[in-house]
Amino acid sequence: MSGARRTLGYEATPAFHIPLSFFLAATLFGVGAGLFLLFHPDALDSRWTPGALALTHLITAGFMLLTMLGALLQILPVVAGASIPAVRPVAIGVHALVSTGACSLAWGFMAGSPAALQAGGGLLGGGLLLFLGAAVLGLRRSEASQTTGRDLRIALIGLAATAVLGILLVLVLSRGLALPFAFGPLITLHVAWGLLGWGGALLAATSWVVIPMFQITPEYPRWLTRFWAPLVLAVLGAWTAFDLLGNELPAWAGSMIPMALTALFALTTLHLMRRTRRPNPDASFRTMQLAMACLLGGALCTLVAILRDEAFWPLAAGILILHGGFVSAITAMLYKIVPFLAWLHLTQARIKAPHMKKLLPDLPMRRQLRLHAITLAALLGAAVVNWNGATRLAGALVALEFGWLAANLLGTVQRWRLTRQEAG
Amino acid sequence: MSTLTDLMTHDHRQCDDAFASAERHAGRGEWEAARGALELFARALCTHFDAEESILFPRFEEATSMTHGPTQVMREEHRELRAALGRLQDALEARDADEYAGEAETLLIMMQQHNMKEESILYPMCDRRLHGEREDLALALGQRLAAGEPAEVAP
Repeated sequence: MSGARRTLGYEATPAFHIPLSFFLAATLFGVGAGLFLLFHPDALDSRWTPGALALTHLITAGFMLLTMLGALLQILPVVAGASIPAVRPVAIGVHALVSTGACSLAWGFMAGSPAALQAGGGLLGGGLLLFLGAAVLGLRRSEASQTTGRDLRIALIGLAATAVLGILLVLVLSRGLALPFAFGPLITLHVAWGLLGWGGALLAATSWVVIPMFQITPEYPRWLTRFWAPLVLAVLGAWTAFDLLGNELPAWAGSMIPMALTALFALTTLHLMRRTRRPNPDASFRTMQLAMACLLGGALCTLVAILRDEAFWPLAAGILILHGGFVSAITAMLYKIVPFLAWLHLTQARIKAPHMKKLLPDLPMRRQLRLHAITLAALLGAAVVNWNGATRLAGALVALEFGWLAANLLGTVQRWRLTRQEAG
Repeated sequence: MSTLTDLMTHDHRQCDDAFASAERHAGRGEWEAARGALELFARALCTHFDAEESILFPRFEEATSMTHGPTQVMREEHRELRAALGRLQDALEARDADEYAGEAETLLIMMQQHNMKEESILYPMCDRRLHGEREDLALALGQRLAAGEPAEVAP
């Protein structure tokens, strides 16, 4: 069997339960983050509280990382022609290491436990090493030559940089590792690589393809798709080299270009989405628009946070970028990916599959996405009023939102299972 | 270097426009207009598949000796897409708006993941492996596509 057939054919598609196990576990991290906020409302006092750090990593290393890795296992063969070797054992290993690593890291922040922090860093590092190793092997055999394939590689470089910086930070915090460069900028670099170099580049690489094709919009401008991700890589690389060589940049100078790049991506996407030729944009389309607006708002809050001292601005930036931006975009995509995978696996098994809207009805999806938007407003409100009651309410809504997302995805799985049973 | 990729990708987008037009009319309950638009889409889609299966894929298979390779996968997906198109036409005949919306969503996602594979992997492979004859091939494909392409997609 040829290499190209391996990547293009159904054989390249991992079994349904592989990406699904990543997605469902990810929702549990979201529920965990909500419950944590419910019982530790002081986490939102500032971005530096142990609770805020735990919360951030439950969302980034838990929800976001797991869904992104699960989705990559699915899409690398399709859009980048990469055939992941030994996909099943790799997926099981990555899932186990990243899940336990994210739990341990969050626990380490919460409890101030150096051992848990180290275990978390080690497990996450091991999981990412395994994933990146398999992805690099797969991509080496790839014949794809398109922008998206290149930008996915850039995102993987961003993931590796985020992990290395994160492990250095864990070693500084838990073992007092002495570094030849300042600690503060290292945190900023870890955040910048994680949100822009990894998350942003992955979102952009996906959007270049998904927005025009699935929403039937005009293409992104060619200059943007050609230069955006390499520019992100170059800017973050130069910023990192500058900082690590001891020439600490003023915060505004380091942040300005990444924020401008984020705003450029978000504004272009919003502009394209306004020109969709599909009728009656559905709830997932609206949620994607919300994601882009929040990324834009988050970039603005990041700039204001540099100029002003109030604790609200960095919190608002974090809430807008993480919950408003990434959680929105990921949730909107999950609502397309999971029913399609259920449909694909049924069809490939020669079973007559119900159509997408029977596998995932509109109504529960629309209601869950509405709750997601309300939760975002509640989180921002809690950051403004800084009152425990408001934060507890926001936490309860976060838990409910992710629980509902899990229930909707499980509903699709249940319909997939019933269809299989009925077909004998 | 990307003659075939550009040509065939452009035709995918033409098909998308026809699909969106049919979906818009069906969404408004304009069933007669939807029927006309869906016919244009079906013709554009089937012409595209026909051009690939009768011109592009055989040349690729000949040049690479890969008869059980990516082109076979694409042929299988064409068969599934034709079946999905049939279900969409049935929903239109029944004037069932919910059924049409569900079948349209399914067809769109299936079609776009198929297009994604062609545009990012198969067409660039064709441009590389058929480098010497890609101008002639593009001409032949262009003529075949033009013969079945809707002249203009109704807004």
